[in-house]
Amino acid sequence: MWTLVRQESFKLTRKLSTWISTGCLVGVEILFAFLSRVYPQTFVPASMFESLYFARPIINFYMIAATATIITMEFQYGTMKQVLYRRYSRGQILVSKWLAILLYTLYWYVMSTGIALLLKAMLFHHSLSIHQSAGDGMSVFTRGLSISAASFVSLWLLLSVVFLLANLFRNSAAAVSVGIIGYFASYIVTQLLTILIQKWDWAKWNPVTMTLYPSMMSRPGYYQSLLSMQAWQMLLGNLIYIAIFLGIGYYVFNRRNV
Amino acid sequence: MSSILSVQNLNKSFGNKHVLHDVSFDLKKGHIVGLVGPNGAGKSTLMKTMLGLFNYDSGSIQIAGETVTPQKHDALSKVGALIEYPGIYPFLTGWDHLQLFADGDHQLIHIQKIIQQLNMDSYIKRKAKGYSLGMKQKLGIALALVNFPELVILDEPMNGLDPQATKDLRDLIITESQRGTTFLISSHILSELQRLAQDLLIIDEGSIVQQTTMHELLASQGKQTIMLMTSDDNKTRQLLKKAKFTTTPDPRVEVVAKSDDTMPQVLRLLVENGIDILDVTRLEGNLESSLLEVLKQSRIKKKLAEEQAE
Repeated sequence: MWTLVRQESFKLTRKLSTWISTGCLVGVEILFAFLSRVYPQTFVPASMFESLYFARPIINFYMIAATATIITMEFQYGTMKQVLYRRYSRGQILVSKWLAILLYTLYWYVMSTGIALLLKAMLFHHSLSIHQSAGDGMSVFTRGLSISAASFVSLWLLLSVVFLLANLFRNSAAAVSVGIIGYFASYIVTQLLTILIQKWDWAKWNPVTMTLYPSMMSRPGYYQSLLSMQAWQMLLGNLIYIAIFLGIGYYVFNRRNV
Repeated sequence: MSSILSVQNLNKSFGNKHVLHDVSFDLKKGHIVGLVGPNGAGKSTLMKTMLGLFNYDSGSIQIAGETVTPQKHDALSKVGALIEYPGIYPFLTGWDHLQLFADGDHQLIHIQKIIQQLNMDSYIKRKAKGYSLGMKQKLGIALALVNFPELVILDEPMNGLDPQATKDLRDLIITESQRGTTFLISSHILSELQRLAQDLLIIDEGSIVQQTTMHELLASQGKQTIMLMTSDDNKTRQLLKKAKFTTTPDPRVEVVAKSDDTMPQVLRLLVENGIDILDVTRLEGNLESSLLEVLKQSRIKKKLAEEQAE
């Protein structure tokens, strides 16, 4: 299994886009850190640090694209046959792709958190302490970490859908589109969701609500009453939906002719 | 000699279309086997099914005694393959590809050996997106062979190869088969297959029409003949007739070779009777015409059987 994960990671590291997107993300973080230093009233330093200097939305887009292409490129380049007619089972091959994407997600989060800490130390050494209170008994640093963790889980909910669609359609455009629409869907339909949840309590368990998990971690008091949910329920809901979507994708991948 | 691949009563359908009908055959270790048949006969489907890419309705596929299914195919560790066209990642170099798919011990030695055998040194470190069709084809073949597997399945391996590359590949296949590797090769370039394959699987409309050796097929179609030029052609003809060799009515002295032993027996007979042999030529039959004849006969038989059934 680890041989397969290593092979998938090898392909990712050999792609020029991996290194260009890394450079772009670092650039975005530097840009927003400077904006925060120059215009602290508009780009509040503590909030900007918590948002990893706008890194998370960028990571989401990169990961949606990377997840779609890790499956669809094998069909596009005609390499799926070669990948499959080895001793490894189809299940192992798909799981290795999941693990490679999991490691890739971790890479982005660790890297962007490291850059954020570095920028804070360089540009906000005297004006911002990561230990200062951010409310709800949390420091700026722990709030940032909890949002990152929630964002990571909710990103994986989207990625599990992208994995499924890439398997079904063999087409990255469809999978990427749905992933990006899914990312914005929660923000677009929050008001509608609130009305539905107030009318029928069970409606809160739909997958779109689960994508609001990071928002709940950044404003717990507001979202808990709005959605009638606790953070642990959101976490559980996310994990269950991830398992369901990955499970369907696994079933489809095992059954299809190549 | 034991079998490396055994396919028994294999049936495969796509929806209502039955594409493989009770396909059964065995491949002996170290043999080069040609899989031939017209377009749409089921060659690629058969190869893909053997490689665990397709589910099948019934029957069994065993490689070195282990069953192969799309869900479980550990036995494919003994197999290298190139099916339809080489799958190449454009952002990787040829070397990266080989590194990616090389398995087991001595990977570096295997990679260097296959690069040398297929003369790929000059471009192996370049990104594959700039490769020509022939370069990609060679890389696909190198990927099939890099782990020096026991069974190699190649679908149209000569596609896009120049004469030198075709010769390199032919030499490589012969060398590896002598070391015990079994090759199953599907190709429409029948002249090339005739030079390589020892055994033949002829497939038509999803059924194995004939499993035979190249020699038997050519001989059965009466196309393998030994032509002689001697110091006394009349005496030679009489001797051959007396010894019960089959000769052709041609004014030239021609003997029909029924087995590999025919030529040494004829030469011994003539030398023992004091006849000088000025020239000997083996007039090899033609796989193309032999194959077409087999397919024609098979279709006639099938049609008659269908008519009788009605």
